[in-house]
Amino acid sequence: MQVPLLPRIAKGDSTAIDECIDRYGGLVWSLARRLSPTVADAEDAVQEIFVDVWKNAERFREEVAGEASFVAMLARRRLIDRLRKFRRELDTQAIDEAALEYAAPPQAQPVELAEDTARAAACLDRLRGDERQVLELSIYHGLSQTRISERTGLPLGTVKTHARRGLSQLRDCMQASSLLRPKVVAAI
Amino acid sequence: MSNETTADFNRWEELQVGRLLFGLSPNEQAEYDELALKMPTDKTNLFDSVVASIDVAWSGRPEPLPEHLQRSIQIQAEQVLASKPSNLAGVPSHEGKSVIGFRNYAPWLVAAASLALSVFIWNSNRPQENVTPSVAQLRAELITSTRDVVQADWSAGTTPIAGATGDVIWSSERQQGFMRFQGLPVNQPTIEQYQLWIFDKHQSDKTPVDGGVFDVRSNGEVIVPINEKLRIQEAVMFAVTIEKPGGVVVSSRDRLPLLAQVK
Repeated sequence: MQVPLLPRIAKGDSTAIDECIDRYGGLVWSLARRLSPTVADAEDAVQEIFVDVWKNAERFREEVAGEASFVAMLARRRLIDRLRKFRRELDTQAIDEAALEYAAPPQAQPVELAEDTARAAACLDRLRGDERQVLELSIYHGLSQTRISERTGLPLGTVKTHARRGLSQLRDCMQASSLLRPKVVAAI
Repeated sequence: MSNETTADFNRWEELQVGRLLFGLSPNEQAEYDELALKMPTDKTNLFDSVVASIDVAWSGRPEPLPEHLQRSIQIQAEQVLASKPSNLAGVPSHEGKSVIGFRNYAPWLVAAASLALSVFIWNSNRPQENVTPSVAQLRAELITSTRDVVQADWSAGTTPIAGATGDVIWSSERQQGFMRFQGLPVNQPTIEQYQLWIFDKHQSDKTPVDGGVFDVRSNGEVIVPINEKLRIQEAVMFAVTIEKPGGVVVSSRDRLPLLAQVK
């Protein structure tokens, strides 16, 4: 298990910066590339996310969340906020969703993942196919509800229901395994 | 507070999902803020950790950050950390502090609380500023804050690109610099990339220092931070070559569109 870096950054230890960028740069870059309309936009987003990481480092609590999950949470908040502004324009454009191809998310080996992440991966496999598909299109590919509806042929209300039910089931599955720490983000 | 109704809670869950997966509209955000006041703290972030765990699981083996971006983030990090009060020096000592009664400091406490409330309200209402300095701001900061900055204009290299102009600045003291371009064509990073080379007075011309690989993504003015791989003692010339994706260790210099000589 890796020693967390954010407590050192919270104390102003600048020697932890390079390690932190090395450790989480790829994760943040991967999220930004997936959830940004252009590479240039992803580059801007990554810089904003890391500023959020430096500024919120003191809020990280090792006992309630994995460090990678903490960074991913900050990244997603920033990326969704940026993506929502872009979607307003995108959703007015006619796109033949059915003609687009969306690759499945990579299947990481459980041994490579932190405990909570490995449990999330295992719980994902227990979801119904249509619920998992909605979560893949929204979480992994960053599609709006409208686009998912067009893509899958599901009514918009069903897309919302699948997203909510899928996440509820994942949360319950992870909590049941006592691997989700429920107070994880109360302090963020 | 825990006076939420079932309807409130259902709606709260919907908004939580929407916030994490799709983003909220202004109306939804207002509704979210209102409901948040009614929700107990353990219900405030119902799915954040679930989605974060999935994000990490689905990130696979991510590709590394581009070097120029890494450098930019490092610079910003140093600025953010420098602006924060450091805890490394330890907590302030309270020894020898004089003791005064509550009656004496109560008015100060009230005044401080009022001031804190005013600041909070002002902060809540004012537009959020983008605190991330742009590359242009970082460049300007380097010019104004460093005495040893050298500047050189780009001129045609051995394989010139018509209309490509700009300049380069470099500080050996800070080991930091920026290139500025106008009219340098947008490249396809999967086919070829630009690479900077820095000629140091104290090194052979045959072995310039790799100044980093970079891309041009727009037709307007482009500013690129220099990402030198070795310490530069005294930069005398800069050259931009076009290389295969990822750059090269030693350039053949077959495609060398720009040179900048320090005078």
